[in-house]
Amino acid sequence: MDYLESLFPGLRGSGYAVTSPEDIRYNCLAWAAEDTERWWWSDEDSHWPEGAAREETIAAFVAAYGELGFVSCDGPLIEEGYEKIVIYASPDGTPTHVARQLQSGLWSSKLGQLQDVEHRLEDLVGSLYGHCSHFLKRERVFPPPIRP
Amino acid sequence: MSPTKTEPASTGPSLETRSQLQNDPDLERRFRELVVEWQAEVAPLSSTTARVQHPSYREIITLGPAVVPLLLRELEQRPNHWFAALKSLTGADPVAPSDRGKIGPMTEAWIKWGKEHGYL
Repeated sequence: MDYLESLFPGLRGSGYAVTSPEDIRYNCLAWAAEDTERWWWSDEDSHWPEGAAREETIAAFVAAYGELGFVSCDGPLIEEGYEKIVIYASPDGTPTHVARQLQSGLWSSKLGQLQDVEHRLEDLVGSLYGHCSHFLKRERVFPPPIRP
Repeated sequence: MSPTKTEPASTGPSLETRSQLQNDPDLERRFRELVVEWQAEVAPLSSTTARVQHPSYREIITLGPAVVPLLLRELEQRPNHWFAALKSLTGADPVAPSDRGKIGPMTEAWIKWGKEHGYL
């Protein structure tokens, strides 16, 4: 059985795609923030946005992404002009994972120190990452027009 | 930049620690088993908390200061989140606050510290 599919049974037959090699330098939180140089978490040995409490709670994670301009939103439906991320959490509410939405409506995740994958939202729901707990959005920033 | 906490340069592994490692091949074997278990189980996890609270990681710490050279060599060869264990076992923290989360610079800081203190 494929290793990733053994970890995340929801990936089986889903048409997911592996989009990067394994990389210990960054994790899912960093990837959701488009940072591939740092490992983000709320512990003292990881990067964490200043202004957010170093706590392993949904509120602290919302505050961390709030520092990047994200605000809470209702759910995963695509909204024109916005990019979205989702925080997964264990049954006790502890954050476990963050994924970001692609313009196609699929989601992109860095799986710990493993690969980046494109997947459906529900594909990663299960014993490792728990459930989709909280959605956030911010206005999508497009490159500025080239001046003549 | 805040100063980083380091041990005095003269502080190194004790003779007892060196002797324990040199005379106890079981220690290194157990260390390797725990590393393999830990890496296999935490690879998909982003939570540093979950990674360092894993039972295999905690058991490595209970092996005591004799595993510091093994941890440093493991870190040098396969960079990973051994920083909490090294801090716990040595009381040192040579990583600059601005480098938190940067696995490469964190690894380099610990390898430099290990060489300066006679562990490598």
